[in-house]
Amino acid sequence: MRAYQDFREFLAVLDQEKQLLRVTDAMMPEPDLAAAAAAATRLGNRSPALLFNNVAGYSDVQIAMNVHGSWANHALALGLPQDTSIRDQFFEFVRRYRLYPGQLERVTSAPWQEVVIDKDINLFEILPLFRLNLGDGAFFIDKACVVSRDPDDWNNDDVENVGCYRLQVKDSNHLGIQTVPQHDIALQLAHAEARGEDLPVAVVLGNEPLIMLMAATPMLYTQLEYKMAAVMQGQPYRVVQNEKGLDIPYGSEYVLEGRILGRKRQPEGPFGEFPGYYSGCHQYPVIEIDRVLHRKNPIYESVYVGRPWTELDYLQALTTSTPVFDQLNATFPEVIAVNALYTHGLVLIVSTKVRYGGFAKAVGLRVLSTPHGLGYAKVIIVVNEDVDPFDLNQVMWAISVRVNPAGDILMLPNLSENLLDPACQPSGIVQKMIIDATTPVPPDNRGDYGELLQNPVGTDVWLKKLGALTKELQK
Amino acid sequence: MSASTTKVTDPLPCPRCRSNTTVVRAVSPKAGVWTVYGCDTCFYTWRSTEPEENTNPDKYPAVFRLSPEKLAKLEVAPTIPPLRSTKP
Repeated sequence: MRAYQDFREFLAVLDQEKQLLRVTDAMMPEPDLAAAAAAATRLGNRSPALLFNNVAGYSDVQIAMNVHGSWANHALALGLPQDTSIRDQFFEFVRRYRLYPGQLERVTSAPWQEVVIDKDINLFEILPLFRLNLGDGAFFIDKACVVSRDPDDWNNDDVENVGCYRLQVKDSNHLGIQTVPQHDIALQLAHAEARGEDLPVAVVLGNEPLIMLMAATPMLYTQLEYKMAAVMQGQPYRVVQNEKGLDIPYGSEYVLEGRILGRKRQPEGPFGEFPGYYSGCHQYPVIEIDRVLHRKNPIYESVYVGRPWTELDYLQALTTSTPVFDQLNATFPEVIAVNALYTHGLVLIVSTKVRYGGFAKAVGLRVLSTPHGLGYAKVIIVVNEDVDPFDLNQVMWAISVRVNPAGDILMLPNLSENLLDPACQPSGIVQKMIIDATTPVPPDNRGDYGELLQNPVGTDVWLKKLGALTKELQK
Repeated sequence: MSASTTKVTDPLPCPRCRSNTTVVRAVSPKAGVWTVYGCDTCFYTWRSTEPEENTNPDKYPAVFRLSPEKLAKLEVAPTIPPLRSTKP
């Protein structure tokens, strides 16, 4: 467990751990930045963060991408050794998640107050913006946290919100924002608009690595992301309150202060989205930026979003798996782990103990009634406790031998689904499927399962031993 | 709108919606490398150094084009709630 003070401290640790690659080659803003970031995640579990400083047209620029883009960097963000397995990262994430709430530490100044711009704001001059995918309707800020409060409950810290939403840079001081109806900020905006008011927001960019993971975690409306980040780092989370009363992370590089304009919508999109397809164009809300603050020599951060896997898939991996696990496990303590790594959990794998015939199917059905299940989980695979849901070789084995489609596939028509899932028919509605890949147990007496093979005695010991020896060999 | 967007005297048509409401959003800090343009009708943004598919209305992919009819029919999300008569 470790608390990174700011973005730069995390980059320094990535550097020490040989997980930061400084790219000094001359490059064009388009398409080189996106292409390099898209390529980085294909390097595997130890793909490094990228820091670009030689981009055409800029004399002094630092652009960071792929900062969370590998399991090694994800582990380091959590303050774990970089070779921590996905399964171990999951159990540690769950353990900390259950310690909620931690504390806020409010201080009065932060490095991002070094430079203040409050007139003639031109975001195109302040930020090194660029296009990610050819069909994107503009340049997007896509790795920022947006901080807001509930106008109907302004002084309640627990309903302050820190979320990650795509932001289209519209002109010199306006952003489009996608406020998905299921997300907390949509509720706060609806309250402001019913009052006929603007909603004050702060867009914060270039943060220590935990708050972005928390912003991507679908936690309860009454849970504050900063208090979750505090338990994730084992220390109070340091913030500075701005004049509007919004809490800003101490460690941000840039802070854009403004308002979502009440009762206003403008064309927004398209944007290459997490399912690997472009979203359409909509009339979305608009943010007017009133003031920009930033550190000297600021570092701009972006995430490449495209056909999975990308860095985005790491941001919504354990952050999705954990709340679903927590809710399932509260109903069924038999549930061991949840893997919601694939495309924000559109496919989701649960491992569980099975008490009696039909139990696994009930676990699968329970997934569908979790908040995430209402909008994402579409194909649910349930496996026994002897299968690691994070090891697809094991999961495919379970499907291979423990599924008889005649009795193990449940098809459920016309359930609710996220609009961004292109398989919907009509939009927002989809058929869902549960695959029971557990061994049938009485009274579900199907199949002819004899004795299950066990690994030879000592396999686990040898695994550790050979792992260490192989590491030596490959040094 | 901020005063820092510059009206172009002879505007380029927007590659996406072909309106003439295009402005210069920024020029490169190193002079003469690129110019960023934007459209105040459909809010498309492009950089002069991008491929023609992004900068030339005739090469812009048909699937992403926006006509005035399409622009008028874009879905509003989220919907705007009715005004409350009294504040809570």
